[in-house]
Amino acid sequence: MADYDFDRLNVLLVEDSHFIRSLILNSLKLLGVGNVFTVEHGGEAIHFMKRVKEEPMKIGVQQIDLVISNWDMHPVDGMMFLRWIRRHKDSPDRFVPFVMITSYTEPHRVMEAREMGVTDILAKPFTISNIAEKLVAIIERPRQFVHTAEFFGPDRRRRKTEFRDVDRRVLNDKSEGVEIIRG
Amino acid sequence: MASNKPVIVRFYRFQNRLRDKTAGLAPGNVSISPEALEKAEKALSKMSEDYPDWVSGLIVKLQEQHGRCVDSPELRNDCFEAINHIAHDMKGQGGTFGYPLITNFADTLYGFTDTRSDDEITDRQIELVKSHLDAMRAVIRGRVSGGGGEIGKSLTVSLNKAIEAFESSNS
Repeated sequence: MADYDFDRLNVLLVEDSHFIRSLILNSLKLLGVGNVFTVEHGGEAIHFMKRVKEEPMKIGVQQIDLVISNWDMHPVDGMMFLRWIRRHKDSPDRFVPFVMITSYTEPHRVMEAREMGVTDILAKPFTISNIAEKLVAIIERPRQFVHTAEFFGPDRRRRKTEFRDVDRRVLNDKSEGVEIIRG
Repeated sequence: MASNKPVIVRFYRFQNRLRDKTAGLAPGNVSISPEALEKAEKALSKMSEDYPDWVSGLIVKLQEQHGRCVDSPELRNDCFEAINHIAHDMKGQGGTFGYPLITNFADTLYGFTDTRSDDEITDRQIELVKSHLDAMRAVIRGRVSGGGGEIGKSLTVSLNKAIEAFESSNS
């Protein structure tokens, strides 16, 4: 079996705790991730992403492949950053995979992040294996993006399970009003 | 798109660029090398060894804020905000490094220092901060990892007593 080569991967890590930041940074490096850019809160992250769009040569990265961000930060938290990534016109990549790190794992908080278009959630406390699992899931099982009047983000239905219940999805690929964009 | 019908939903389906980038042209299953994973796990446990020192640093900072609360009552709201912030930083991490007691104590400290800027902060609240500081210090000094056995239990019990006393004085 071949091994992943993360050498060309560009990751943006947004974390205000110095300790956790260096922990994740080192873990990613040890897993072989080539480029990890670190910032301390959502405001800096937005600034960084704008620069990726405007002056990629200067900061040395054309595209961020994955964002890993803490949720609770000051002054701009992870949710505000996620909202900006998914919805703002200045966002360089509204589809970038976004992993939220959080110790808030109550269902309503998870739901809130999901509705905002989070790709995955990494619960604290975490292990290296947890980080590795998230990486593999993002690479191997990408989800289509869904855009409706109320929602923009990765498909909230992850699994192609058989529904025991009635499938409440009214639209399919062939329905009127459905547009499929491939790239 | 020739149709003038309004679009209700758009599905974006992209080529898996990330897989191309990381798995190359390798057919079939790709994995993270067990050696890399093991190395990373080791590094994490190495970092865990530094964790008590790092927490000690934060406890010193908490202590400074507590001192300011005692000396300058007019600064209490600012101090509580700072304490609340440090507590949040601590509570997410103790468990990761084998010190769930730090997470527990930081959690209650975080809870009751989450005050509004115009709340009046009483001497009893300041005392309760002190009780938390003492409990955390005892955990780190004794390197009380995990549940902490008897020492952990007695620390938790005495801190809970302080919290109860505070709550009953408030009701």
